[in-house]
Amino acid sequence: MEVRSVLLKLLGAEHEQVLLSLYEAEGAETYGSLLRSLSTVLEDNVIPLSLALDQGKGDIKETRKVLFEQGVCKLSHPGGYGGMGLPFGVYALAMELAGAADASTAMSLGIHNTVADAIAQFGSGEQKRLLLPSLLSGEKLAAFALTEPSSGSDARSMRTKATKEGKNYVIQGSKMFITNAGEADVYLVFASTGSGHGAFLVEGSNPGLKVGKELGEKLGMRGSHTAEVRLEKCKVVAEDSLLGNEGLGFEHAKLLLDSSRIVMGMICVGIARTAYGKALAYAKERELFGKKLSDLQLTREKFANSAIDISAARLLCMHASRLKELGLPFTSEAAQGKLFATEMAVRTCDAAVQLLGGYGYTSDDVHRHLRDARLLTIGEGASEVLRMLIASQELEQET
Amino acid sequence: MNIVVLVKSAVNEAELRADPAGHPVLNGAAMKMSNFDMNGVEEAVRQKEKNGGTVIVMTLGGAEAKKAIREAMAMGGTRAVHIVAEPSDAPDSLGTAYLLAKAIKRIGEVDLVVCSEGASDTYQGQVGAMVAEFLDMPFLAYARKVETVEGKVRCEQGAEKGVRVLEAKLPAVVSVVSEANVPRYPTLLQVMVAGRKAIEDLPLSSLKGADYPETGMEVLDVTLQSANRKKVLFEGSPEEAASKLVEALKQEGVL
Repeated sequence: MEVRSVLLKLLGAEHEQVLLSLYEAEGAETYGSLLRSLSTVLEDNVIPLSLALDQGKGDIKETRKVLFEQGVCKLSHPGGYGGMGLPFGVYALAMELAGAADASTAMSLGIHNTVADAIAQFGSGEQKRLLLPSLLSGEKLAAFALTEPSSGSDARSMRTKATKEGKNYVIQGSKMFITNAGEADVYLVFASTGSGHGAFLVEGSNPGLKVGKELGEKLGMRGSHTAEVRLEKCKVVAEDSLLGNEGLGFEHAKLLLDSSRIVMGMICVGIARTAYGKALAYAKERELFGKKLSDLQLTREKFANSAIDISAARLLCMHASRLKELGLPFTSEAAQGKLFATEMAVRTCDAAVQLLGGYGYTSDDVHRHLRDARLLTIGEGASEVLRMLIASQELEQET
Repeated sequence: MNIVVLVKSAVNEAELRADPAGHPVLNGAAMKMSNFDMNGVEEAVRQKEKNGGTVIVMTLGGAEAKKAIREAMAMGGTRAVHIVAEPSDAPDSLGTAYLLAKAIKRIGEVDLVVCSEGASDTYQGQVGAMVAEFLDMPFLAYARKVETVEGKVRCEQGAEKGVRVLEAKLPAVVSVVSEANVPRYPTLLQVMVAGRKAIEDLPLSSLKGADYPETGMEVLDVTLQSANRKKVLFEGSPEEAASKLVEALKQEGVL
């Protein structure tokens, strides 16, 4: 199956249309060039390694390095610390491409960049100076540690505590399902401080930070590293470590997740686009009942539905992204985009497995997309939590 | 060292489709810098990095050729010249070479002109040699290795059963093959900066003189070669299927 043409088509036609609908012509053309260039690099250097990553035979450092060297993390960060200052939507579309090339790599990078976003938004001048350039270039890797063994969706009830002791904080607790665990140079750890919640930057080399066993039995996203992170009397210097306001850590997390949800949604659009492309290529070749599979009406219905689904998910995420760029509220729209895109990806990848039949069920180059997509209806806001969030915003507007 | 690199906006073959008669659908076809030109640009940029100087990216084509220029600029071009020729005015190979040579002369002192072995869509491979003739420069073709030392260029040319080493005084025109180098991937920042660099537009009319050559040759027809798979399924045990496959390959003349 030829994934190369899938990416090119996706870029050439679909992205250029989206860019033209969102930005003025000159900008759209430049952004289109960036994405075209990125797609070539991904085709040559990431797609060939993607299947091996799923099979546990590759090293995500190699594929992540490609994205770092290209400057994907720099795209939408403001200039000054190495950012390129482009609209967030360009980064979102780049992450769709990354998701289409390799979901594990895209998610690892997306989460890393959420921490960079945290520092850019809430960090002190010194924290920005010390960390942002190396995070944007990929010299250092970051992890986002919010979820706990007994609190995921209900993050506010976290048990990890940070106690002030003179100029230091001592953090005690445990964080679960942490992407990039064990590899990261810096962890953004959320902990209860008594007066609220705090967000703390903890170095990977801190002796009080212990990384547990790799969670190796994951359904998908097998190329990325996931583990428990324990904080055992983990001492950090308050001035260096505390990010933003002490009591507002949870509020900071919510703001960060709004943007991150757009990215996770776009990664899912990419995953779906790849699975859809594989199914499309197969259906044009496969013959049954004296016809091509693609000539059967029930097949065509699947393709029509998938095409609508992919476009709708992308546009919903890009709508949230545009609101963010314009400084307008986008919490509900980001949740809608992420929810729709992740559930859409599961649907589309499942349809691809169905169309490929026995080959879909037995080939990890097909079913891995379904397994990868499945994570994202759970992580970064489970579908159920996002529906609660969207509904409560709707109800607030009515009153 | 002043280096001019010639690039061409070519049809992206990966996306090219044929109409029922087998003719390529060129209207609205996706365009990009010719694949082989990436090696030309890479060689020019490497020579600049080694010797200092400038890399002037030059192309002839319609508005779509700007994309190819931007790609070359992102790889390290320092200046861009676009000879604007809309499809209705598009010259043939000889006319193209004449116009490129005129534009190169207008730049002033040029030490090296680099091009690729041919365009990845039409692959006529004529323009480089013709440019050299118009500029009255030596032409070192199909170079797989290029070195510039003390006012000279030395190229390695792969012959069928050996290697030929050529040397000429600069200025010279060199065409490179894809073995010459591995083209770099520009970073997204380089692509963005390239998008903002000025491109000098030269109208065709400003270069055409009374000596503009006419070959009198025209392209009559272009059809795409299509590979049709036979999709024959051999049934039976592996031994039986293998025998049938061998028989079928013999009938096809493959064996």
